[in-house]
Amino acid sequence: MINRIPWVLVIFLVALWVPWYGSRFYTFLATDIAILALFALSLNLLLGYTGLVSFGHAAYFGIGAYTSAILMKTHGMPFAVSFPAAGLMAAAFALVFGYFCVRLTKIYFAMLTLAFAQIVWAICFKWNDVTGGEQGMPNVPYPDMSWMAAIPGLGGLRLGDQFYLLVLVLVALAVAALRRIVSSPFGRMLTVIRENPERAEFIGINVRRYQLAAFAVAGFFAGLAGALFGIFNRGVFPDFAYWTKSAEVLIMTILGGMGHFWGPAVGAMVLTLLNQQITSYTEYWPLILGSILVILLFGFPGGIVGALVAAGRRLTRRGNA
Amino acid sequence: MKRRIFLVAASSFAMAVSFGAMAADPIKVGFPMILSGPGALFGEPALKGAQMYVEEVNAKGGVLGRKIQLISRDTKGNADEAVRVVRELILREDVNFIVGTLTSAEGPAVSPIAKENKIVFVAPITKTDQLTAPANLHPYVFRSASTTTIEGRTAAEIVAKWPVTRIATISPDYAYGQDVTKAFVEHLKKIKPSVEIVDQQWPKLGEADYTPFINAQLAKRPEAVFSSLWGGHFVTFAKQAKPLNYFQAINNNFIGAGEAASIESTKSMGADYPVGIWGNSYDVFDWPDGPQSHKDYIARLKKFTNEEHPSSWPITGYIAMQFLTAAIAKAGSIDSDKVSAAMKDISVDTPLGKMTMRAKDHQANHGQFWGKTKRDPKYPFAVIENVTRIDPAPFMD
Repeated sequence: MINRIPWVLVIFLVALWVPWYGSRFYTFLATDIAILALFALSLNLLLGYTGLVSFGHAAYFGIGAYTSAILMKTHGMPFAVSFPAAGLMAAAFALVFGYFCVRLTKIYFAMLTLAFAQIVWAICFKWNDVTGGEQGMPNVPYPDMSWMAAIPGLGGLRLGDQFYLLVLVLVALAVAALRRIVSSPFGRMLTVIRENPERAEFIGINVRRYQLAAFAVAGFFAGLAGALFGIFNRGVFPDFAYWTKSAEVLIMTILGGMGHFWGPAVGAMVLTLLNQQITSYTEYWPLILGSILVILLFGFPGGIVGALVAAGRRLTRRGNA
Repeated sequence: MKRRIFLVAASSFAMAVSFGAMAADPIKVGFPMILSGPGALFGEPALKGAQMYVEEVNAKGGVLGRKIQLISRDTKGNADEAVRVVRELILREDVNFIVGTLTSAEGPAVSPIAKENKIVFVAPITKTDQLTAPANLHPYVFRSASTTTIEGRTAAEIVAKWPVTRIATISPDYAYGQDVTKAFVEHLKKIKPSVEIVDQQWPKLGEADYTPFINAQLAKRPEAVFSSLWGGHFVTFAKQAKPLNYFQAINNNFIGAGEAASIESTKSMGADYPVGIWGNSYDVFDWPDGPQSHKDYIARLKKFTNEEHPSSWPITGYIAMQFLTAAIAKAGSIDSDKVSAAMKDISVDTPLGKMTMRAKDHQANHGQFWGKTKRDPKYPFAVIENVTRIDPAPFMD
């Protein structure tokens, strides 16, 4: 019964109504969550599906954010150009960095991804003329959303609400594409590589090439998330590519459950809400957030979604018996 | 009939009560500040200063008959986190004003949010000129802090009086270091054309080994050095420079911007501090020539923070809150546009003397303390002697 409801569609439709709940704060939170969910889902293509642990995924988020911000703010390009360009630029960098990374395995792979991410951060931090250096680029313009006025009911919305709807639709399309990729033969191949790379090699799969492709695709979607986040955040900063951002998205993915497609999205939502609530109630937030994360990670080794799925199965089994 | 009168009376009573409640509602001020990580060493005391001022104002009945409520949030030293908490403060906590942010990235990042939401934002610490540069200026952003221009030029005014001509600089290679060094060099060349810049070293921010930079600089034989290595960077640098006789070689003609002479720096270095060099600080707890108001302020601060030798940072939060409160009182309203208008050219009697928020660039003439450091048997750390405060008003443009 529960399985027959198209949950994803229901959540999307509910999310569409957020601007009409009347609180700008909810719109703000929902935009944040939607963008970070895409970021975390893109990482899971590597982590959960290909079995590659990247400590430097923020690099591609940062590259996407800077590409879109530079195109929109410095060169006055429309969002329709800057958004795909951000994804492509991030994918191009992921292709170059990934070329070296996939030659290594396990912890060495992880360390090299981190090293490349720190290089990206250092470039953003130092290249004052282009990236604004330490101060980043504040004042990234909103995309032109005047066309939304032509759609009945959307004209009267605030800019932030219109942007939220744009984000929601774009994120939904990107996630649909990701979903399509992981269930394609290509995605299945990645899972084979995750399970047993030696065996995959024996049956004639070019493991490195597949890993590199997965790396570039993950970079592409991280770049798209970065472009949206730069606009949402009203500015891009070197912190976007810093290792703490990579750690944050890693925590989201593991917290939500990397064994399930929607796990990272749930992780992004839970971590964002936790962070939001705890930092507003106490200045000792690192202690409390850390404790909660330790409990969650120990209590739900398969992540939140993993635990829910397991609980759901137990219930249905009992129901059948 | 009677019943109707009763209803009218009851409803008007209810209205009166609700109006009364409204009048008594506190004025909410959001205070985003670094409260965790290394930056908290400066952010925490800045918040303390603001809290102390709010306590003092509220004890006197508040402003416009309303109390001030300070709502602080941790920016974690990240610009994007600063943006997030400021939006949360505005959208959820319904704050009327924002006072806060620390780094040169946080201030300019928060400014567009203040503009979009029409909330007056006062920056107490952020020094970058970018914050109030013409391209970024809008009706709601104000700065009670000093600026890189003021800091660099004040140092130049001091160095111009020294009997030296061969000048070198050493600064971290990023926006703050570059801006303040540029302001110093340009102003010094203007007011003393005989000077020659013989060397400029640019170690990266967070450099662990300054030895090559120190040796390269000494090889150029400068007579005086300007530095903008701040906080822990200055401490690391000075510890490595001392055994190389760096400060002796330049006869202690070293002037450290970036609060090199603040109690935070001198305390953390203790006996290792290169006594005799010049440096600046936001505040000094012992200012013999200072006004009585400063002595009173220090006495209150000692009590408030329970510190024998209080930090030099609370004054930043204190002065920012003074400006905001004065503007609210002058505007007679908490309406953003009215307060913004009232803020222009407003003068405030701060513990450091009178300061004015210029109308044309929303910038206060906030200079810092400068002076030569000395050892005083009364204290276990170096202090500034002959505390100098130069009013930056004549050379802010």
